[in-house]
Amino acid sequence: MKIGFYQGCCFQGQDAHMFDTMRKVFEKLGVELELLEETTCCGGNTIEEEERELSYAINLRNIALSEAKGLDMLISCNTCYMVIAKAKLAADKNKKLKEKMNRLLKAEGLEYKGSAKIYHLLDFLRDVVGYEKIREAVVNPLTGVKVVPYYGCHVLYPKEIAVDNSDNPSSLEEILKALGAEVVSDYECKDVCCGYHSFYTDKNMTLRKLDRILNSVKEVSGDIIATPCPLCFKAFDIYQAKMESPPNVPSAFLTELMAYAFGLSREESGLKYHLIKVPV
Amino acid sequence: METVTLKIFRYDPDKDNVPYYKDYEVPVEGTLLNALLYIKDNLDPTLSFRAFCRSEVCGSCAVRVNGKTKLACKTPMRELYEIWKGKPLKVEPLNHMKVIKDLVTDIDEPVEKMKTLMPWLVPDPSVVPSDPMHESIIYPEEMELYKDQIHCMLCFSCYSACEAVEDNERYRGPFAFSRAYRFQVDRRDIETAKDRRIRYAISGGLWSCVQCQKCLHVCPKGVKPAEDIQNLRRRSIRKGFTDKPGAKKLKHYVDWIYATGQINRLYLPAEVYGDSEAVEVLKSAYKSMGAEVWEVPKPVKGLLKFRDTYLEVLSKSEEKAMNIDFSHVREIDRLVSDFFKADVCTILDRALSKSYESKGLVDRLKSLLGGN
Ligand code: SF4
Ligand code: SF4
Ligand code: FES
Repeated sequence: MKIGFYQGCCFQGQDAHMFDTMRKVFEKLGVELELLEETTCCGGNTIEEEERELSYAINLRNIALSEAKGLDMLISCNTCYMVIAKAKLAADKNKKLKEKMNRLLKAEGLEYKGSAKIYHLLDFLRDVVGYEKIREAVVNPLTGVKVVPYYGCHVLYPKEIAVDNSDNPSSLEEILKALGAEVVSDYECKDVCCGYHSFYTDKNMTLRKLDRILNSVKEVSGDIIATPCPLCFKAFDIYQAKMESPPNVPSAFLTELMAYAFGLSREESGLKYHLIKVPV
Repeated sequence: METVTLKIFRYDPDKDNVPYYKDYEVPVEGTLLNALLYIKDNLDPTLSFRAFCRSEVCGSCAVRVNGKTKLACKTPMRELYEIWKGKPLKVEPLNHMKVIKDLVTDIDEPVEKMKTLMPWLVPDPSVVPSDPMHESIIYPEEMELYKDQIHCMLCFSCYSACEAVEDNERYRGPFAFSRAYRFQVDRRDIETAKDRRIRYAISGGLWSCVQCQKCLHVCPKGVKPAEDIQNLRRRSIRKGFTDKPGAKKLKHYVDWIYATGQINRLYLPAEVYGDSEAVEVLKSAYKSMGAEVWEVPKPVKGLLKFRDTYLEVLSKSEEKAMNIDFSHVREIDRLVSDFFKADVCTILDRALSKSYESKGLVDRLKSLLGGN
C-alpha cells in the first residue's frame, strides 16, 4: 500500500537520514511512503502566535496536497500531527472557515475536501499495519533490552485529536513488545512534556523537564527511552547534552529501534549517531 | 454487582503525620462523585471531599484518578473501570495545591495568582456610560471573542494538570491567563489597563507555558487556555514586547517559513539567543553524527504560489503579531542561491530522483555543480 508522507522539518535537511530509516522500515512492512514534496512546515504550533488562520491555511494546504494525490497522510511528529489534526478539526466543524480557506487555496489549484485520513506513526502502525506484521518483520529481536516507552503530549492531548487513550495509552508498549523488547512502562513520566518547545521561550523549563523525565527512567533502571516523536527524541538526545549534569540516558526515535530489530545495522538505523551512546 | 477498588488519599493534618491511602470497594455505576458519596454514606463518614452542584456547574469536585485530573461529577465509573481494566483506582487531591484534608485542597494560592493578572474590567469612560442606569451594550460579535472563557468555573483542573506550574512556581496558571485574555479583548476595557495586564502576564510566566495542551484537554467547560496564551503572546508582541526570546522565535518562524516554506533550526540559536557560533557547532556536531547538514532548507516546490497564499492571509489579518521582515527574507533568499549556486529546486529534485539516500547528497551536488 501507499501513503502520503509529510516530512515537516524533522525528516529532511539536517535530519534527512531519519527519513531514509523511516522509508526502509516501511518498505519491510509493505508500505510505500510517497513524499508530499510541496508541503511546508506546519508552523510548529508557533505560527498561531502570529495569526491562527495562517496555521489553518498552511495546514489545510498541506492536507490538500495529499488529497490531490488521492492519498491518506502519515505524519510522524507529535507536534506536526497535533497542529495538522487541529486544522482539520476546525475546518470540518466550521463550514465558513473551510470555504474561506478553499477560496485561498484555489489560487494554487488546490482544494481541501476533508477526504484524506491523517495518521500519526502510532495509530498507523496499530490500525493499518498491525502489531502482527511488525512481529513478523523482526529478525533481530530486542531481547533483554529494557525499553521505557515515552509518548509525549501532542498525540494524547487534547482528546479531540488523540490517537490513543489519553489516560492509559498502550500502542507504544505493544509496538515495543512486538520488537521483542522488555517494556518497562511503570514510571511517572510517560506523558510529561519533554520541554522541546520551550527551549526558545524559557530554556530553564526545558532543562527541568529533561531532568525529571530522564532521572525517572534511571529510577526504573531503563536501558533506553523510546519515543514516537522526533522532537522529543531531539530533546532527549541533543538538549540532554546541554544539561549541567546530564543523567546520560540513551534515547531512540521509534523507527530507529524498529529498523534495528528488522535487521538494519546500527549505522543504517541511525542509532550509531546519537550524542548519548545507545547500548544496543 | 460489579465493584472496583478506590485507593483514596487520606490526610488529616491534625491527626496524621503523613498521608496514607485507604481502600474502598464501590459499585461500578453512576459517576465518580456517586462513588465518593457512596463511601461517605455507607462505608466511612470521615472521608472529606468537596462537591455541591453534582452537575458540572460549581467546579468544586475535581480530583485526580491514577494521576489524571477528573471532574468527579462528570466522570462515569464505567469509563474509569474500562480505561484501567478493572484495576484499583488511586484517587488523590488536585496537584500543585495544599491539602486541607483528604481530597479537599486550598484554592487560595491559585486564586491569589490569578488576581495578579487583573482579571476584571477597568471601564473605559468613552465606551461605558457613567450613568449606571444606562445600558452598556455588548454586541454578539464581541461576545464571540470570549464566549468560551466566561464559562470557566474555577475548578482548577487545568492548574492541577499544568506542566508550567509543575516546574515554575511563579507561573500563574492556565485559567488565570484565559481570564486575563477575556478582559484583554473586551472593548469596554480601557487601553491603559490592557497595557498593564500584558506586563503582568509577562512577569507571570506568559512565555513559560510549554504548550502541552493538557489544560484544554482537561477543561470540563471547553475553555482553551493554551490557545488564549498564544493569543496573549501575540498581543504582547503587538504592544512592543519584541525582545523576549519567544518573540524572536516567532519572528524566525514568520520570516523563514515565508521565505523557504521551512524553519531553519541551524539559525534559530543565532536569531533567538544571538549565538552565532551555534551554526558552525551544529554543523560539525551533525557531521560527527554522520549526517550532512543542509545549511539552508530546500525551498519547497511551488514556493512562489505558497508565498502568495501566506501573504494573502497576513494582509487580511487585523491582529497579526508582526509584519514579515522583507529585508530578512531577501537575506535568506541570498543564502539559498549562494549556497546552491543554482536554481536549487531543479538540481535537488534531479539528485533525489536518482537516489533516495541523503547521506553525501550535498557533496555530490556540489561536485555536480563544480563548486567546493
Ligand atoms: S499548555 Fe501551557 S498552560 Fe496549558 S497546561 Fe500546558 S503548560 Fe500549562
Ligand atoms: S479553565 Fe476550565 S479547567 Fe481551568 S479552572 Fe476554568 S473551568 Fe476549570
Ligand atoms: S459537584 Fe459541582 S462541578 Fe462537580
